[in-house]
Amino acid sequence: MIWHSFFFALFAALACGFALAVVLTSNVVRMAFYLVLSLSATAGLYFLAGADFVGSMQLMIYVGGTLVLLIFGVMLTAQEEFIRISTRPAEVALAAMVGLALLILLSSAAFRVPAWRGDTPAERSLALTPQTVGPIAMALLGLRVDQAPPTADSPPNDRPGYVLIFEIISVHLLVVLVGAAYLARGRIGANSLVRQDPSQPASDLDDLADADPSGSELLEASQTLDSPAETGA
Amino acid sequence: MQTSVEDPRVLEFDVRTDEMLVNMGPQHPSTHGVLRLVLRTDGEVVSEVTPHIGYLHRCAEKIGENLAVRQWIPYTDRMDYLAAMNMNLGWSLAVEKLHGYAPPERGRHLRVIIAELGRIASHLVGMGAYGLDLGSFSPFLYAFREREKILDLFEQACGARLTYSYLTPGGATADLPAGWTTRCLKMLDEFEPILPEYHTLLTSNAIFVKRTCKVGVLTADRAISYGVSGPVLRGSGVDFDLRRDGEPCYTQMYAGYDFQVIVERAGSYPATTGAPPPPPEAVLGDSWHRFYVRMLEVVQSISLVRQAIALYEAEEGLDHGQPFKLGAKLPVGETYLETEAPRGQMGFYLVSLGQPNPWRARARSSSFCNLSVIGEIGRGCLIADIPAIVGSLDIVMGEIDR
Amino acid sequence: MAVTLNRALDALTGWLVGSIGDDAACGYALAAILQAGMLLNLVAISGLVFIWLERKIAGRIQDRLGPTRTGGRFGWLQTIADGLKLLCKEDLMPGKADWLLFRLAPYIGLAASLSAFLALPFSGMPHPFVAQRLDVAVFFVLAVLGLEVFSVILAGYSSASKWSLFGAMREAAQVVSYEVPLGLCAVTPVMLAGSMDLVTIGDAQQGGFWNWYLLHSPFAFITFGVYFTCATASVNRAPFDLAEAESELVGGFHTEYSGLRWSLFFLAEYGSMMLVSLLAAILFLGGWHGVLPLGLGSGGWLEALLGTGIGGYLGALLGLVLLLTKGLLLVIFMMWARWSLPRLRIDQVMTTCLKYCTPIAAVCFLGATLWQASLPNGLLLRPYNAELLRAQAAGPVATPPADVLIVDTAGGRP
Repeated sequence: MIWHSFFFALFAALACGFALAVVLTSNVVRMAFYLVLSLSATAGLYFLAGADFVGSMQLMIYVGGTLVLLIFGVMLTAQEEFIRISTRPAEVALAAMVGLALLILLSSAAFRVPAWRGDTPAERSLALTPQTVGPIAMALLGLRVDQAPPTADSPPNDRPGYVLIFEIISVHLLVVLVGAAYLARGRIGANSLVRQDPSQPASDLDDLADADPSGSELLEASQTLDSPAETGA
Repeated sequence: MQTSVEDPRVLEFDVRTDEMLVNMGPQHPSTHGVLRLVLRTDGEVVSEVTPHIGYLHRCAEKIGENLAVRQWIPYTDRMDYLAAMNMNLGWSLAVEKLHGYAPPERGRHLRVIIAELGRIASHLVGMGAYGLDLGSFSPFLYAFREREKILDLFEQACGARLTYSYLTPGGATADLPAGWTTRCLKMLDEFEPILPEYHTLLTSNAIFVKRTCKVGVLTADRAISYGVSGPVLRGSGVDFDLRRDGEPCYTQMYAGYDFQVIVERAGSYPATTGAPPPPPEAVLGDSWHRFYVRMLEVVQSISLVRQAIALYEAEEGLDHGQPFKLGAKLPVGETYLETEAPRGQMGFYLVSLGQPNPWRARARSSSFCNLSVIGEIGRGCLIADIPAIVGSLDIVMGEIDR
Repeated sequence: MAVTLNRALDALTGWLVGSIGDDAACGYALAAILQAGMLLNLVAISGLVFIWLERKIAGRIQDRLGPTRTGGRFGWLQTIADGLKLLCKEDLMPGKADWLLFRLAPYIGLAASLSAFLALPFSGMPHPFVAQRLDVAVFFVLAVLGLEVFSVILAGYSSASKWSLFGAMREAAQVVSYEVPLGLCAVTPVMLAGSMDLVTIGDAQQGGFWNWYLLHSPFAFITFGVYFTCATASVNRAPFDLAEAESELVGGFHTEYSGLRWSLFFLAEYGSMMLVSLLAAILFLGGWHGVLPLGLGSGGWLEALLGTGIGGYLGALLGLVLLLTKGLLLVIFMMWARWSLPRLRIDQVMTTCLKYCTPIAAVCFLGATLWQASLPNGLLLRPYNAELLRAQAAGPVATPPADVLIVDTAGGRP
């Protein structure tokens, strides 16, 4: 257990330390980088808790997906004058208040979970019952295998699962995807107007528009691809 | 980030993107020497290409005014150093035109052998380096492997492997050594079956086709108006080759030879034995066609060398043309002669006041005109297309800067 | 492996320093150090071998000899000589670079490449050689592999060079988009085995090459092709090496790097190459199982001959050799492709991913699912299923509850 405590402390310190660094540094790109480290340390905490799936999710979606796009965006948009962000004291005070309020809210919520307050080993072991993602996956498909099977006298829609929510999210994402594709198309149309040149054969410009060399379509597509878990989480 | 609409043609929701000036070269791996291209890019799209030249300027033309015509031959070697034999030939023919001199028949065939071998060697480098520009390493070394054999032959003929100074006004510095033609024919016999390998690796390779087709399209009108020449011009479908259409004092060198100008006529190329047909994606004048013309010209040059060797060996006597005396005075007058070098029309201009050294010696470089179209055909393409276009123009900076 | 090794080390440390106190803690620490050291050396040594191999293969492909001088006839020590040279080079940094990110970037790439090996098994049951056996190993490996992109992005950004920035932009766009088809392809074996545990996936393919998921169905065969293409793209190998693209971007993201930091990028690249190749071998090519049923695993002749202890470990070791051989062959295939093919253009790379690889992977996943549902016992040869055989030997199977049955069908093999 000593290593568990040690690594918990290490990862917690890393997560908090880099979170602080995000707030305190003034360089935008470094902020994004510290956020990567902070979220990776959080993933480490998940692995430590035996939640391999959540940890991998954290790495893949937040660190590998969202933050790549974040850094990418910051990197490309941050010009010399925007690289450094100075914070005024009033903003610091306001942020501190909001942060403190959030901390109080979260910690009070955390302390209300009975299993986490467990004082006796029996209570603690209750919280450590091994669980797999199988039931969640089945519930997403509409089957609550984690609950008792239906009996003859139970109401027909006793165990609906999450299939409706899942579908709504999917449709929502589809809409976002289509919207992103539309925006990217419009932009290319505008650019090819600028590049209009009689010497270039028409097919060439069409190819360019199809391929979207600037990658914006792709970026937005991947952004939306990443968001299911954001919404889900 | 601010969203502003500066250009009315840019739609309202457009994210403003900054243009970036990128300096490609003069120390860039794929600008073929010390060429510097300034690219104005928006993301990966190039909106403007400006070539900057002059990094290899060595005042060769000024030096030419202070040397006897034969002494300037080594300087022509260093113009297009990948086809130095053809540079020697261009200058020699210009001087001979001023003299009104024609070399003996044996010397004429010798020059065809050497010039066409030089063309093969030069096109091999162009082909291999083009593969390198597109990220394919191995064809470069395959091409150099075959080029080495040609250089071996040149070395046996004149002692040098890069800057030959072999063909001079009057003829050649020496006749071909004994057994040279046999070795040359053996080399060609070994080389010809290898050509399909190059076609497999490059010409018909799916990625190569994707990278070169419809890239850098140069229409025939535009090609003519920019004065491009050589394979670049013929790749645009213009039927023009100085070996057939040049001045008599140059075309008489090829009198009696059977050859066709490599250019697309009515949708097909002559002499395509062993070469794959153009892919449906390719349009006339794109990088693929320029490359293809070079590949076919190699086949044609092989046939020309074979014909020339047969004619050379059939000649009676041993007179290959004696070089002019070093101190011999030039006739008063001026002359200009263009020859078909591997990269296009190489012209030499010469004004003489009756001294052994010319009053003016100038060179008209084919690569210079060929490079000048880069601003036109490089606009609107991607950064990765710039090496593909520059490679397909196959320029040599030594010739441009002189 | 962790548990076995820990037990052994625990006994060792308990015997050595029994009085010091919590020997379990020491055992864990020792086991961790040992395993991390072994993995580190695996990556480093394979990096050395791969660089030598790459030069030798490139040489042979190009009709040359490759290294011949350093270290005897075959130039064995060429990589070490190269490494020494790199060590001695000056560690340059551009004046306008972001010093922190510039210095950290190579380490991030190497760390991501190395830590993905944590969950990669090298042999199957009953002695799985794996540093940390995870239920979601496939997912973990892909997730960690995706982090390597950070090193390229940060290197490209912090170099304060336009060519580096271009490389970083390309890399980010490429890797993020290729993760989608890569994940879709990896899902097919997961579906067939009914588990994301790489040990289970590998062991589900035992008993000869006809049980490999590569030959499960035509769809799985195509999936393997798509997987390998996407894997090549996600580790930045030719013809997808756009982030480096020396003929266009000078050196891409590592233009400004020199010496040891530069070589760390390459160590990470070769590590990732090996990782995706081993993953392909486990997912599609039977992992540590032989082309023909060799009987090295549990219940084979090796165990019967030498007992479950030594025989089992020996079998696992031979399985490790088999797996490494398969991975090596795939790496050699990548090298072959690199020295033969021209490079694609960035928009063509994106088109390949979004218009071809992703739809093909999705359709093949669907096809493989339907194939498995309609032909659960395969077309020609009956797939090996240890549990089924055992159950048949034991007698009639009790009908499982309805819910469990559904879960099983969704999970793959009945």
